[in-house]
Amino acid sequence: MNKGRITNNIRRLRFNSSEMTQQELAEKVGVTRQTVIAIEGDKYSPSLEVAFRIAHAFGVPLEGVFQYESSDP
Amino acid sequence: MDMSYQEKSTLGSLLAMLVVYAYYFANAFRHLGQSQFDGGTLGRLIFTVIAIIVIEIVYHIALAIRSKPEPKDERDILIECKAYRTAYFAMFSGMSLVIAWLIVAGVASVAAPGRISVAPFLMVNIILLVLVLTELLHFAAQLFYYRRGLR
Repeated sequence: MNKGRITNNIRRLRFNSSEMTQQELAEKVGVTRQTVIAIEGDKYSPSLEVAFRIAHAFGVPLEGVFQYESSDP
Repeated sequence: MDMSYQEKSTLGSLLAMLVVYAYYFANAFRHLGQSQFDGGTLGRLIFTVIAIIVIEIVYHIALAIRSKPEPKDERDILIECKAYRTAYFAMFSGMSLVIAWLIVAGVASVAAPGRISVAPFLMVNIILLVLVLTELLHFAAQLFYYRRGLR
């Protein structure tokens, strides 16, 4: 099975949302600040529920936050 | 280093266990010749268990005062599960070796009665060592996943 890669725009979305801090986003989503840091740094792929909550926090659809890059040629 | 409350909690538990049980086993392995627990060795074992509990309570009170306690989120729970899986395989392997050793020692003690025997003091300490190493591995694996990430 080819493993794809999930990337995200959270840093840019935070900047565009009046420079929302990682702590503010963490509180809105219901995770710790370290988890937001891990997601932003592509070190952790959140559950579908948390992914939807992040998208909801920014008022954008899920694909506006996360993108899937397939490793298939 | 920017660490979460859970990560600091895990690091504290790892260090407490490492220091207290290093002290215990350094003493226990000096008395390997004895077959049973006596007042001194049993007292040291009870002291070790109480010391771990006291250190953990004091450390977590100090940690709660210094940094705001945070409930575990999904990443903390996933890291804990992965660390438990690593520790489970280590414990299974360790206990399998202990069982194999007991069987071999049992057969050997029948073949050479009076010369080879498995003393309860040694047996308890070997099993305790496996359990402690497994728990240390569990804490270390959690810290590894916190630092490396889960991808």
